[in-house]
Amino acid sequence: MTPEVERLERLAERLRSIDPVMPSPGAKIRGWNLVLAAVEQSATVRSRTHPVRRLVLAAVAAAVLLVGGAVAASADSLPDSALYPLKGVVENVRGALAFSPSDKLGYHLDLARTRLTEAEAMITRHRIDLADVALSSLDDQLNDAALVVQSELQSDPALAASLEDRLAQAIATHDQQLAGLQGEVTNPAAIAAIMQARDRAAQALQTSNGKPSASPAGNGKGPSASPHPTPKH
Amino acid sequence: MQPLGKAASDDDRPLIERVRRGDQDAARILYERYFDRIYNYVYARLGRAEDAEDLAIDTMTRSLTRLDLFQDQGVAFSSWVYRIAHNATIDHYRRQGKAILVPLESATMPVSADPSELAVDQLSNEDLREALRTLTDEQQQVLILRFFQDLTAAQAARIMGKSVGAVQALQHRALGSLERVLQGRTNN
Repeated sequence: MTPEVERLERLAERLRSIDPVMPSPGAKIRGWNLVLAAVEQSATVRSRTHPVRRLVLAAVAAAVLLVGGAVAASADSLPDSALYPLKGVVENVRGALAFSPSDKLGYHLDLARTRLTEAEAMITRHRIDLADVALSSLDDQLNDAALVVQSELQSDPALAASLEDRLAQAIATHDQQLAGLQGEVTNPAAIAAIMQARDRAAQALQTSNGKPSASPAGNGKGPSASPHPTPKH
Repeated sequence: MQPLGKAASDDDRPLIERVRRGDQDAARILYERYFDRIYNYVYARLGRAEDAEDLAIDTMTRSLTRLDLFQDQGVAFSSWVYRIAHNATIDHYRRQGKAILVPLESATMPVSADPSELAVDQLSNEDLREALRTLTDEQQQVLILRFFQDLTAAQAARIMGKSVGAVQALQHRALGSLERVLQGRTNN
């Protein structure tokens, strides 16, 4: 081996010894949320381009138009809106159409995100009573999601692990948002409601892996304080 | 060196099919498999965590949403992902208005420097990373793929679209160039 090759080998070894720079956990979560949103959107676009599905969607769209714009308008309605009860009906229909464990989990996590958005809006409008209900419902959705994970533990441990990971990511994201919200509000009732929601969200993760939860029934306010009790699978 | 996670393999194929059918769990597995590696690759090129995060996310988004463009005909999914990351890096440089293909020969070189005096073990990681970023685009790419990403010459060749022999020759030239840059910095 010539001196030059020896030197370059040493340099190559030195380069190999450099520890890789890893992304922060927060960046990884943020990245996955963005990628997931893009993947979901991409899947929607693909399904729209399928001729048969396009036909079905056109028929559904026509039906929606016939029924009126109320259903569509209710999608963005908030708990203090007259259209809000209709939103619950639509959500329940969606839940009934979620068949696979992955779909069921996605459904509950989606509703949890919606409830969190509603809670934030209600706190902004000083409707702490409605925010409290939305936060309780958020926790109910996370508990339902945890039960979906738990139901797969025996039959498909690999799938259960994957689902639990998604649930953990969602809970971490929600907790970050709730922590931010907690730091912004001054109303003691709102702070208490947010803290309780964070505690219960953390318990949901224990439920998912079969560990006993301190509050298996949910929020301590009865079977469900949800404004829209969702179908159980 | 810490492990970067599982390297690319044929295991990707069934996952890709599942992602094409809209399976988010499969997308998650591929994301977990590649995100750290791509982040590490982009960071080595750019040296800024924020930019590396953005480009790594952008790369994974493109990889998992444009699978209709990926044809598994001789090109592994891993190679495709690295190429997307490479193109994203080049685009980033262009947007920043930075030159990307500076021939090393045009840079100021300490001709009289004696490379045998270079103590590579005493160089800091950051010195090495900075010196590497002064190399040409291809030289950076080959060194990062071979030594930071721990890929074989064959894997690097597939990603770079070159023969194994060409990659080995490029690697040799790149190491020589890096040595000269480091020597110049040490003398200064």
